[in-house]
Amino acid sequence: YDPDLHPFEVAREYTRAMNAVKMERIFARPFICGLDGHRDSVQCITKHSTQLSLLLSGSCDGEIKIWNVAQRVCQGTIPAHNGFVRGICVMPDGEAFYSVGNDKLIKRWTMNNYETPAMTIVGKHVFTSIDHHYKNPQYATSGETVSLWDEQRAQPLQTFKWGADSHARVKFNPIETTVLASCAADRSIILYDTRQSVPLRKITLRMNSSTLAWNPLEAFVFTTANEDYNLYSFDIRYLQRPFNIHKDHVAAVTDVDYSPTGKEFVSGSYDKTIRIFPSDKGHSRDIYHTKRMQHITCVQWTADNKYVISGSDEMCLRLWKAKASEKLGVTRNREAETLEYNDALKEKFSHFPKIKRIARQRHVPKHVYHAKREHKTIQDSQKRHEANARANSKPGSVPFVSERSKLVLEEEE
Amino acid sequence: MATRRTKKWLHVKERKSKFATRQATRSEILHVEEEGYIVPDAVDDEDERIVDLTQADIKSSVDIFSAQKRFDLQLPLYGPYHIDYTRNGRHLLLGGRKGHVAAFDWQTKKLHCELNVMEQINDVKWLHIETMYAVAQRQWTYIYDNQGVEVHCLKALDRSLHLEFLPYHFLLAATNEAGYLSYIDVSIGKKVAAYNTKIANGNGKCGTSVMCQNPSNAMIGLGHAGGVVTFWSPNQREPVVKMLAHKSTIRSVAVERTGTYMATSGVDAKLKIWDLRTYKCLNEYRTASTGASTLTFSQKNLLAASYRDIVEIYKDLYDEESSSTELPRYLVHQCPNGSSIASIAFCPYEDVLGVGHERGFVSLLVPGAGEPNFDALEANPYQTKKQRKHAEVKQLLDKIQPDMITLDNSVLSEIDRKAFVRKQEDKQKEFNFVKPKELIAKAEKKKGKIGKRLARKSQIHDAKLKEFLQQKQLKRQKTKK
Repeated sequence: YDPDLHPFEVAREYTRAMNAVKMERIFARPFICGLDGHRDSVQCITKHSTQLSLLLSGSCDGEIKIWNVAQRVCQGTIPAHNGFVRGICVMPDGEAFYSVGNDKLIKRWTMNNYETPAMTIVGKHVFTSIDHHYKNPQYATSGETVSLWDEQRAQPLQTFKWGADSHARVKFNPIETTVLASCAADRSIILYDTRQSVPLRKITLRMNSSTLAWNPLEAFVFTTANEDYNLYSFDIRYLQRPFNIHKDHVAAVTDVDYSPTGKEFVSGSYDKTIRIFPSDKGHSRDIYHTKRMQHITCVQWTADNKYVISGSDEMCLRLWKAKASEKLGVTRNREAETLEYNDALKEKFSHFPKIKRIARQRHVPKHVYHAKREHKTIQDSQKRHEANARANSKPGSVPFVSERSKLVLEEEE
Repeated sequence: MATRRTKKWLHVKERKSKFATRQATRSEILHVEEEGYIVPDAVDDEDERIVDLTQADIKSSVDIFSAQKRFDLQLPLYGPYHIDYTRNGRHLLLGGRKGHVAAFDWQTKKLHCELNVMEQINDVKWLHIETMYAVAQRQWTYIYDNQGVEVHCLKALDRSLHLEFLPYHFLLAATNEAGYLSYIDVSIGKKVAAYNTKIANGNGKCGTSVMCQNPSNAMIGLGHAGGVVTFWSPNQREPVVKMLAHKSTIRSVAVERTGTYMATSGVDAKLKIWDLRTYKCLNEYRTASTGASTLTFSQKNLLAASYRDIVEIYKDLYDEESSSTELPRYLVHQCPNGSSIASIAFCPYEDVLGVGHERGFVSLLVPGAGEPNFDALEANPYQTKKQRKHAEVKQLLDKIQPDMITLDNSVLSEIDRKAFVRKQEDKQKEFNFVKPKELIAKAEKKKGKIGKRLARKSQIHDAKLKEFLQQKQLKRQKTKK
């Protein structure tokens, strides 16, 4: 390689980076299709544990629909519960799945029989969610308390209790399979271990968390979707402060799900938008919205890392591309190389102002745009007040406190 | 602010880039060709000098394929010929002053087109590809297809004296009889800039036909009547660099491919070699009579100069060992019938010098002139039609905007400190609660005894390394003969 033969290296690469970033925006068409069929707003979605194309969704009229996403067709409908379907979870071997609803029932269904459940368990209180252990034949439900059940038994093995509030969600850790976490209505998040009879730790935040999701590749990381419009990523080894705050939504975040690579996650919120965040950054890399899509109740990231599915208030499930400008279908070798080269260029020149401006540019719905501006004004004024206080008082008396340390109110063991 | 994460990320990036450079150097095994010069059997032998070799001698001692590249074209009717080679060195364009234009593949001698434009021609130039060329005719500049069909008439470039094409920016630059330097973007057909070069000629006209291009940073160099050499970019009304090179009119300017050296010749019969980084004169030589009328550099830094009907080729011009004022001649050629030379050009990637003179065109063999290994992704002399089409599309996509033409190419890759400082100041004015950000401090010059000692040590080390490399090169040259 003779650099004399290749003059203007940086200028040419910069031009190519500009072209790459512009083409990315041109080809950014993330919406694929909508899956119609539910007769009430979608309450929960789960992807099947072994079959890539299957998806299960539960709605507020008690129906569970099984979708074949590849063919965009509903395979079957199960009239499951007499109220909301609160949670669905598929067993790790993919043979059967559980569902819980507002009628205090836990029902177990097999994949071929949609008429009658294989088993029904009557509970004492309304269950809000269910999650299956990744290895053992156990599952946990949340409601008034978090209970650990065995598949064969009609009574829970264990009931964890800390405080008197109800729990919104319970999730098992996919790697450290004995650990689970739940979000409680007293703005707290509680960690449990199935080997212990007492919960591990409890942290109290400023506002209520609606759900949480464990990182499938890093055993100690989970992200909570909070009602103060942010998502917080915690390391369970150091729960005193979140190691990342993800800000970008303008209304309460309702659901979060990690990508199978663990590098990104998708979050849906009450502000009718879905945002995709890189797990180490504080702001979203993309936003998906449609005029027809109302408040989002649940999101899932498919197991092949390519698609994102959202279920919303207006009875529709939507399928989106995870990378908005990705070409679906077979890419040839040369094409793949060019795309990788373009990605590298975009990263290399990402801080140049013109390229940054184009890469960041998204059309955002008007209500979100205005809300963001308002939030910014509020934040700026708060900062200004603080800066004035700092400027007019003894140096050191008003220290710079990071937002992350302000978040967790208390941690208990 | 380098946190542990960013440090780790930087570390990974550095390791990857080191790997990439190592792989790139390993790919040099693909360079199958090597350069070679005519080297004397015994050094300082007065009986046998390389300069005394004629083209006939060289032709008879090389293989037939190279011997084919030495030919004469006798075109006595249509005036002194301006010549141009395409970027890949495959096609040749001849323009005679009396209007004769011919474009052909000079290696296979296949003629593309031949026409007479019925007007005086001041200059001809290939555009980015061998299907289009520009002819600076008396009134306006025209662009022709390689079939000889007139494609465009550029009325913006009227009465042009000399044309230059900047291949990576797709800019056609032309100097005017009235002293204007104009740039046209040939991919979109828009005039980018036109500046009055203002420095008057002796005879009252402002136009100068002494023009050259600095291939490494796309600056246009003009030579003026008072001995001034100016460099222009399309972004500025004033010349970017203005140098007093000679004490009289400049006859010719040439800049070497990497942009480090410049050769100028003036009416005062001097040939000066300049270092373009420091703008200092490196060497000064005395030449015959009124100075070299045209100068051109080859890809391997041989300089060709023409004096009326003689063309001389110099080698090792900036060798610091030879401090003499004698020009280090390598080869010499005299055109038949004493016809004066209008233009000379080295063919890229070939050991050939093309000379256009009053009575036709001559192609000379100059061993060691061209770059032996071409990069097919840049310029491919053996392009098929399909490859040419693909390459044209890629070139157009990579076209650099004219506002990125700067004197120093590395500006884009450096940290923009001024902008950072300005941004911080603006933010501070707007919101006075901004936490101050740090920028990586520039590596400061070490002062004090120990710093000076270290600096001197590195100087000595560099000098020794240079000496060692020079000796190695000498050894290699000796073993070659």
